[in-house]
Amino acid sequence: MTESAQSGKAIPVDAESSSTIPLETSILTGAVPLESILCTEELKRRPSRPPDHEKENRALVALVSALADSPSTIFQTLAETIQDITQCDSAGLSLLTRDGKTPNVDGKRFYWPAIAGMWNPHVGGGTPRNFGPCGDVLDQNRTLLFRHFERRYPYLLPVIPAAEECLLVPFYVAGKAVGTIWAIMHSDRRKFDAEDDRVMASLGKFASSAYQALVHIEDLKIQVAEREKAEAEVRELASGLEAKIRRLVEANVVGIVMWTLEGAIIHANEAFLHMLQYSRGDLATGRVRWTDLTPTEWRDRDERAIAELKATGIFQPLEKEYFRKDGSRVPVLLGGALFERSGKEGVAFVLDLSEQKRAERALRRSEAFLAESQHLSRIGSFSWRVATDEITWSEQLYRMCELEIGVPVTLELIRTRVHPEDVSLIEKMKMVHQASDGGNDFEWQYRLLMPNHSIKYMHAVAHAIRDQDGQLEYIAAVQDVTARRLSEEALDKARLELARVARVMSLGALTASIAHEVNQPLSGIITNASTCLRMLDAEPPNMNGARETARRTIRDGHRASEVITRLRALFTKKDAAAELVDLNEATREVIALSLSELQGNRVILKTELANKLPVVKGDRVQLQQVILNLLRNASDAMNNISDRPKQLVIRTEPSEGNRVRVSVEDVGTGFEREQMNRLFEAFYTTKSDGMGIGLSVSRSIIENHHGSLCATSNEGPGSTFSFSLPCETAVASPNGIAAEKKLAARQE
Amino acid sequence: MMEGRQLISVIDDDESVRESLPDLLKECGFDAQAFSSAEEFLASDQISETKCLILDVAMPGLSGPDLQRKLTQQRQMIPIIFITAHRDETVRPRLIEQGAVECLFKPFSETDLLTALNSALRVS
Repeated sequence: MTESAQSGKAIPVDAESSSTIPLETSILTGAVPLESILCTEELKRRPSRPPDHEKENRALVALVSALADSPSTIFQTLAETIQDITQCDSAGLSLLTRDGKTPNVDGKRFYWPAIAGMWNPHVGGGTPRNFGPCGDVLDQNRTLLFRHFERRYPYLLPVIPAAEECLLVPFYVAGKAVGTIWAIMHSDRRKFDAEDDRVMASLGKFASSAYQALVHIEDLKIQVAEREKAEAEVRELASGLEAKIRRLVEANVVGIVMWTLEGAIIHANEAFLHMLQYSRGDLATGRVRWTDLTPTEWRDRDERAIAELKATGIFQPLEKEYFRKDGSRVPVLLGGALFERSGKEGVAFVLDLSEQKRAERALRRSEAFLAESQHLSRIGSFSWRVATDEITWSEQLYRMCELEIGVPVTLELIRTRVHPEDVSLIEKMKMVHQASDGGNDFEWQYRLLMPNHSIKYMHAVAHAIRDQDGQLEYIAAVQDVTARRLSEEALDKARLELARVARVMSLGALTASIAHEVNQPLSGIITNASTCLRMLDAEPPNMNGARETARRTIRDGHRASEVITRLRALFTKKDAAAELVDLNEATREVIALSLSELQGNRVILKTELANKLPVVKGDRVQLQQVILNLLRNASDAMNNISDRPKQLVIRTEPSEGNRVRVSVEDVGTGFEREQMNRLFEAFYTTKSDGMGIGLSVSRSIIENHHGSLCATSNEGPGSTFSFSLPCETAVASPNGIAAEKKLAARQE
Repeated sequence: MMEGRQLISVIDDDESVRESLPDLLKECGFDAQAFSSAEEFLASDQISETKCLILDVAMPGLSGPDLQRKLTQQRQMIPIIFITAHRDETVRPRLIEQGAVECLFKPFSETDLLTALNSALRVS
């Protein structure tokens, strides 16, 4: 023993909490071999004291009663008993542990739960399993007697006073070593002998029982604690759940009723009572029975629900009717469950379906109305979700197309009905609306070619809406306008005839007016000439009178000439009313005016209007007449085209020399090179019913606007007519002013 | 006014007619008087003297046929030769049916005029 060792404390078992000696690492090898500290064999050779059976029995009885009375201190009692019987200086237990506090057979350390005698201050300390006296005992599975074990196990040096001799006995539980009991002499005052060996072995067996009892008690404590915790949780859960259920019942959002299988109603909330017009007082009489609330025709449904309840403990929600107190009926949805699987009482929720049923009836009625009115009016409808290309038809539309109701609507299906000449129209329209984020309403006309080769004329009007996801959807009404179309065609024919007559008439009127204006002076000329001749023939000739009438003849001749000049001026040199004109806007208006006419001629109009087109100065109406004239000519030129789509392109664009160009391109019959020069002549026409003044007048108008009108043959089929006008700024330029001055001079 | 000659009254809003036609009539041996409107003629004292009326169809104010009806109402049975610059073939038979001697389309020849005048004066 050394001075420094005297101040040592028990070694903490828990390496992690140790701030002094890192236990596991420092003790890999011992200072001296194990044999040198063992002297077990000496026990047999030493003189043995006689056994004191009386003392031993007393001790064991005391231990057993201690185990029964105060099991928590049994280890301490055991340590004291060891010390008492062996008359040693210190006695105690080492138990395998994992956490340093509680016993565990798989522990890697021993701890000292109880020590009697001089080492008592070291309670809680311990030794490693694989490198220490207790470990040696378990390894050799027998009692060992050590002498100064600190010589091999230096970590025991600080544990004072030092052990002169230490008798260590293993003990077991269910065949597994769990610890040791030991007795220590700190001096050679007394040596352990065979009797100590025997007594210790006996106490070791008791230690095993004590250990088991304690572990069992600990287990019980844990179990009790766990059970208490679980019970508390259940109590808490139950009280929370109960509160929630009560809240649900009292909120009266749904009817809730508690019942027995026999038909009694034990409890119902206000919502349920209100639904059936009963009061709480009615319920209290016990005369309100759910079996009586159910009309006869719903009884079998009740019976099915009861069968379900008996089989599964719940019944799935079902719809039925209840009688109200006043005998009227209320449609309800109810579902429920038995409180206990095999019990007779249960709970059900009841929902009033009156509103829903009313809404369903209203919906059915309005659907019936719609179907009937679509049938009567021969109007079908469809919806088209642009993004997904999903198309839904109404029943009437299927009937109109003579297709089986409900067949999925695909483009292929549509193709089997839409007239081949109109398929491209539909596809183009589809593309246009898919491309634009637009959402503009639109309408169009197309034809159906039925399997029996008859033709139906359809008129569709589409309205754009956004669905709840913001997706574009068109709802369209489609009307079979065949009858109207046929009468329209007859009307159109009559109108065309009328227009032709009107044109001839107006030409007649024009001729008459020209004739009148010219005939007046001519009349004077002829009369004067006649008078002149008579005066010359007279005897003697009246020379003065003849001269006078001849002069009048000349004057009237000039007058006739002036009439002609004036008429020419009327047609060609009419001054343009000057205003700023946006040719895009003017073009759009003309398109709007002629769209139905173009559609009627199955013309596919493509519009390519330039962005930010400079304005021009001129007479808007006159320029629109020119555009209209070019559009009509282009449309007319394609009248007899059947082998290709009748495509017409109207285009506006800036052009060279600060000008704006409007061109109209068709794929019609076009014109021959030799026709080119005559195109703009008045009264030249290639049309059977044309007067041939349109292009001539158009050119006059354009030239009057300082512009030019020209015609070119396309590389492909057809021709392009275009005119270009100086932009407003160009008109204001010196050249423009000069041109205006020149014009003014000519008019003077 | 020339003694013994038959008075022919010419009513036309066109000045060249009023200027030229009376001269020719005088060369042909008639007396002639020009009026620029029907109203002017009705206001004059020449109605009863007039042996034949050469009357324009379309005039501002009272038209030729208007004057014809008015004279019929006043029982003034003056033969009328209508003249017009509107060559409308449907007008001629209607006017003749209503009592006109002839309807000449301007410009007319001296021969046609004298033929019409002869038949007018023969009627009266």
